[in-house]
Amino acid sequence: MGQAGSDSEGGAGLRVKPALPGTEGRQFGGRAAPKKWARQRKTLEIYSVELSGTKDIDQTDKGDGKEKYRGLKNCFEPKKNHQREELKKELDLDDHKLSIKELEEKYGTNFITGLSSTQAAELLAQNGPNALTPPKETPEIIKFLKQMVGGFSILLWIGAILCWIAYGIQYSMNKSSSLDNAYLGCVLALVVILTGIFAYYQEAKSTNIMATFNKMIPQQALVIRDSEKKTIPAEQLVVGDIVEIKGGDRIPADIRLLSVQGCKVDNSSLTGESEPQARSSEFTHDNALETKNIGFYSTTCLEGTATGMVINTGDRTIIGQIASLASGVGNEKTPIAIEIEHFVHIVGGVAISIGILFFIIAVSLKYHVLDSIIFLIGIIVANVPEGLLATVTVTLSLTAKRMAKKNCLVKNLEAVETLGSTSIICSDKTGTLTQNRMTVAHLWFDNQIFIADTSEDHSNQVFDQSSGTWASLSKIITLCNRAEFSPGQENIPIMKRVVVGDASETALLKFSEVILGDVMEIRKRNHKVAEIPFNSTNKFQLSIHKTDDPNDKRFLMVMKGAPERILEKCSTIMVNGQEQPLDETTAAAFHTAYMELGGLGERVLGFCHLYLPADEFPESYSFDVDTMNFPMSNLCFVGLLSMIDPPRSTVPDAVTKCRSAGIKVIMVTGDHPITAKAIAKSVGIISANSETVEDIAKRLHIAVEQVNKRDAKAAVVTGTELKDMSPEQLDELLTNYSEIVFARTSPQQKLIIVEGCQRQNAVVAVTGDGVNDSPALKKADIGIAMGIAGSDAAKNAADMVLLDDNFASIVTGVEEGRLIFDNLKKTIAYTLTKNIAELCPFLIYIIVGLPLPIGTITILFIDLGTDIIPSIALAYEKAESDIMNRKPRHKKKDRLVNQQLAIYSYLHIGLMQAVGAFVVYLTVYAQEGFQPGILANLRVEWENDNVNDLEDSYGQQWTSYQRKYLEWTGYTAFFVGIMVQQIADLLIRKTRRNSIFQQGFFRNKVIWLGIASQIIIALILSYGLGSVTALNFTMLRPQYWFVAVPYAILIWVYDEVRKLFIRLYPGSWWDKNMYY
Amino acid sequence: MAALQEKKSCSQRMEEFQRYCWNPDTGQMLGRTLSRWGGYPRGRGRGFPRVLLSPGVTLRPDVYGDKGLDISYNVSDNRTWVGLVHALHGFLAGYSPESQQDSINCTSGKYFFQEGFAAPNHTKFSCKFTADMLQNCSGLADPNFGFAEGRPCFVIKMNRIVKFLPSNSTAPRVDCAFLDQHKDARPLQVEYYPPNGTFSLHYFPYYGSKAQPHYSNPLVAAKLLNVPRNTEVLVVCKVLADHVTFDSPHDPYEGKVEFKLKIQQ
Repeated sequence: MGQAGSDSEGGAGLRVKPALPGTEGRQFGGRAAPKKWARQRKTLEIYSVELSGTKDIDQTDKGDGKEKYRGLKNCFEPKKNHQREELKKELDLDDHKLSIKELEEKYGTNFITGLSSTQAAELLAQNGPNALTPPKETPEIIKFLKQMVGGFSILLWIGAILCWIAYGIQYSMNKSSSLDNAYLGCVLALVVILTGIFAYYQEAKSTNIMATFNKMIPQQALVIRDSEKKTIPAEQLVVGDIVEIKGGDRIPADIRLLSVQGCKVDNSSLTGESEPQARSSEFTHDNALETKNIGFYSTTCLEGTATGMVINTGDRTIIGQIASLASGVGNEKTPIAIEIEHFVHIVGGVAISIGILFFIIAVSLKYHVLDSIIFLIGIIVANVPEGLLATVTVTLSLTAKRMAKKNCLVKNLEAVETLGSTSIICSDKTGTLTQNRMTVAHLWFDNQIFIADTSEDHSNQVFDQSSGTWASLSKIITLCNRAEFSPGQENIPIMKRVVVGDASETALLKFSEVILGDVMEIRKRNHKVAEIPFNSTNKFQLSIHKTDDPNDKRFLMVMKGAPERILEKCSTIMVNGQEQPLDETTAAAFHTAYMELGGLGERVLGFCHLYLPADEFPESYSFDVDTMNFPMSNLCFVGLLSMIDPPRSTVPDAVTKCRSAGIKVIMVTGDHPITAKAIAKSVGIISANSETVEDIAKRLHIAVEQVNKRDAKAAVVTGTELKDMSPEQLDELLTNYSEIVFARTSPQQKLIIVEGCQRQNAVVAVTGDGVNDSPALKKADIGIAMGIAGSDAAKNAADMVLLDDNFASIVTGVEEGRLIFDNLKKTIAYTLTKNIAELCPFLIYIIVGLPLPIGTITILFIDLGTDIIPSIALAYEKAESDIMNRKPRHKKKDRLVNQQLAIYSYLHIGLMQAVGAFVVYLTVYAQEGFQPGILANLRVEWENDNVNDLEDSYGQQWTSYQRKYLEWTGYTAFFVGIMVQQIADLLIRKTRRNSIFQQGFFRNKVIWLGIASQIIIALILSYGLGSVTALNFTMLRPQYWFVAVPYAILIWVYDEVRKLFIRLYPGSWWDKNMYY
Repeated sequence: MAALQEKKSCSQRMEEFQRYCWNPDTGQMLGRTLSRWGGYPRGRGRGFPRVLLSPGVTLRPDVYGDKGLDISYNVSDNRTWVGLVHALHGFLAGYSPESQQDSINCTSGKYFFQEGFAAPNHTKFSCKFTADMLQNCSGLADPNFGFAEGRPCFVIKMNRIVKFLPSNSTAPRVDCAFLDQHKDARPLQVEYYPPNGTFSLHYFPYYGSKAQPHYSNPLVAAKLLNVPRNTEVLVVCKVLADHVTFDSPHDPYEGKVEFKLKIQQ
């Protein structure tokens, strides 16, 4: 077969290759039809742990095993040196060298009768079930405690403890001291615990999604015990069990094969070899991984049957050991986690430094230390946005939900944003970029290449079907094909039907079914009398049929196979339905077409036929496929057909989007470079006008070495080349070429590529499906596992699961991720703003000595009450501009909370808000009798319980409780003032650059819900709970609610002006300093 | 707006509120003309406080312990009460004829409503209250205010509230009693000065410190005649008037004043 033959089977891409019972040969390499895949996966593969840990662990068979091994070493050795040594030791198993007798002795079993049930039960109790230990989970309590001490919680704990200390001191001095501080401490602790519980619950919920997803369907194994064949769950297998496997089974444990009938296994998950490996019961190699008499856990038996003895189970299997190694690769901190940490540091720093500064000021102003501590608590509480982390969690989980709808299932909430900051995507080819099914792409007959429709539904086959050659070709395609539709699928679209047969034949079957209609019926009418299935020596497939023409008594012999082999057997060629002698020119035309199609990375098949003369082969003639009593030469060549696993139709668009979004897409595949490059070109990973060094050399007719490497934009690098590269060379490759395809790579090399990208400071997303992808998935900033083709280990290691395996879904994920980053900025800006309005009262209280404008409890009601729903509502804000048209954010430069955001929120809007709130406060005091003038330095008398006739500006006299009540009214007024201005703040935060009129007032309806919630909560607090003295709210006279309105309007106008100047003068000082 | 003690129906309030939001007659929005938005309101052009509904009541001499007023002294040891007496003298200094000379003599015993500003400097008149009105407790006849003999005088003052009218017709009256009066125990005997322990109505309403710069709160002195010796008693002095409440659960000084008293001998 040509270079696009069976070796284009991807190593990396294809993990699951069940050979179906009844498929005798893997004729042209086998990608199964998608529907079949889906079913197979459901029943056999996907829900069971399928490990392909180190594909390359030892592949000396091919002579390059050592180097591949080195790759593995590179990945694991630094961290896991000793474990690797252990692995090496374990690998020295010698069961393959032992004879059956020795084995029976060693394991106390009997080849014929198997273990006894009691023996098995004992061994099971001793060694544990035959299952891989799932990756270690952090204990729930630890997870919970982490939530309790993370982020702002520490600050609040400090506040709570200070409260208790303050109360303790007060109590020790005066037994009847008020419980206020103790209460406040409890409230703060409660806040931390509640937000902690909430965050924990959110995390747990998202983990639960995965848990249900991960539910395993138990695998069964056929075992001989007590001289009886039994089907038991594979988990219960023990060492010494005799098991039988057949084609299509997954090998349930590491087994030593005892007797074998034509058994072939797919070891690709372990060794990376994509070709089926023959098994026998003979010891063929010292190395356990290479000898033919061992079958490995989780590999698939493709055909034939075998009986074997279990020699290792569960974690002690080769693959189990590798899996535990893979789980050692640490998880990186997500960018959003880093951002939030950064933000917590900023806020915490501000809180603590202002707190301590004013503590010192307070002490030097001769305040009691106790009072100063209480000020400190107030400052901390005012500074910490208590509700923010909960809000962020909710926001992220909302986005996660939205992404799940778009087929991106997010496991780790923080990964939602990571995807948005992704700057490089290392994508698999098979299944992710492509449809993961062979499809007829081109036809060649009548000296012409025709293009077939490769879209998902295949509906639009427009090539010329009038030629007589097509009639013959279609007959060959239909008849020389063993694939069949599974019964009972008449109502399912053809492309979605389940087919029994290998990938190429499935492609041909569906192709002909679409064009010709009922293929089964055609086959029935052309009764098959003899058949030679495909085998790798012949490289052709042949069948002989009676024709459906009752007048034609001749037999029709149809043949397909590797084009050059088919051509050899032909002496004529059909052109326009007429047989013509095959001369030099037609042969040349054939070769050109063959090369051209092969050059497209397609798998090419040749088709020929022969009508056997009726006199020589009468109706009663008995064909014997062993003696080949029929002619095998001078056939008539009809045409070529080429197939490819075509790109998904949505992918080119998605790649373009990535490109405009500044995301580099790197293809990493186990496929042949030519196929990889062809697909890369067709989806735009290599753009139409870019050339590789090789392309340039070819165009200029010079040697590859002479080409200036800078001229090439694209590069196709094979795994072998990659192996020889130093990290520096890889860095150079990654920086110098914008379009890179890695072909023929092993999953281990994926890790090397990911590390290379990360060295460029890129945020790397990696897709993967196999177990041996899991180190790369973990190492990547965001690991994306395939939901359909992915193994559980990959899904475990990944941060995200693509439910439809579709690359385009990643792009929607990127979009959501970017949006959430922008919206989080807005949420944080919104939340930070009022901190100043909450903080100023304390500072002024300390310095000017006003009656306290707002109490700590009241602040908590803003932070955890009125502000919560609005800040979540910002998560529903639509993007201001095309977020997919800008570069991914720079990890270190584009911070979530930058200086501009902090300054604008704190010092511009925050201060305006503080002024507005103070006006409400002063209005209330003035209206009640205390004009601002006398408030200054009133604090001491005001707070003195023994002054019960304090005079106000009008000479009225106040008892201490009356003052207290006024103070609470002041709290309520200040609270309402902040609330009213937070409505304006919410509206201005809808956009960062555009006018709110451009964004639209009502596009985000949740915002209005948020505003309504603010008002309603405030109304309830004031009028509903105004009589509960502990909450420090009072019934505020209605007019006070409107005092802050002008300030709210001012805030809005101010921000509109800011945005206007940003839009008018991009790049100006204003833009640089006022845009956050 | 109307006086604070006025009871209103909900619809009335709504109507007022609407009028508050936009008053078509005066062009006022939210109680202010547009030009006045932006600053805090100056003066007391309108509105009355709602926090101050009922006046507080205070006591002289005022010595506070851990929990409120706590007065204890030893009759035989004048050092223990000279401070108390001194405090009373100090307090009543504001009620000397010299201090009150800018106020006018009032005798009507009825509310002294003043529409205009008839007093000098565009103010309103204030009624005189001089210490001598407290007679035996004025400190003039007995400079020791009865402390030396164990029948101490306490001066009770009602806090000022602008435009507050304490009662409908009768003058507010002070009434002192033991707080935990047992049936069988002897009730507290009190002599009140001025007689009956009333605050004459002509001291009300109060128009504010700017309108009545010379205003002094009327006082009532209570001379406790039968305080048991060497035991701590709780005494409460309430102001009895239609619009003075003394049952607030939160405010111990609203409409009443409680104090601990212990006289040793």
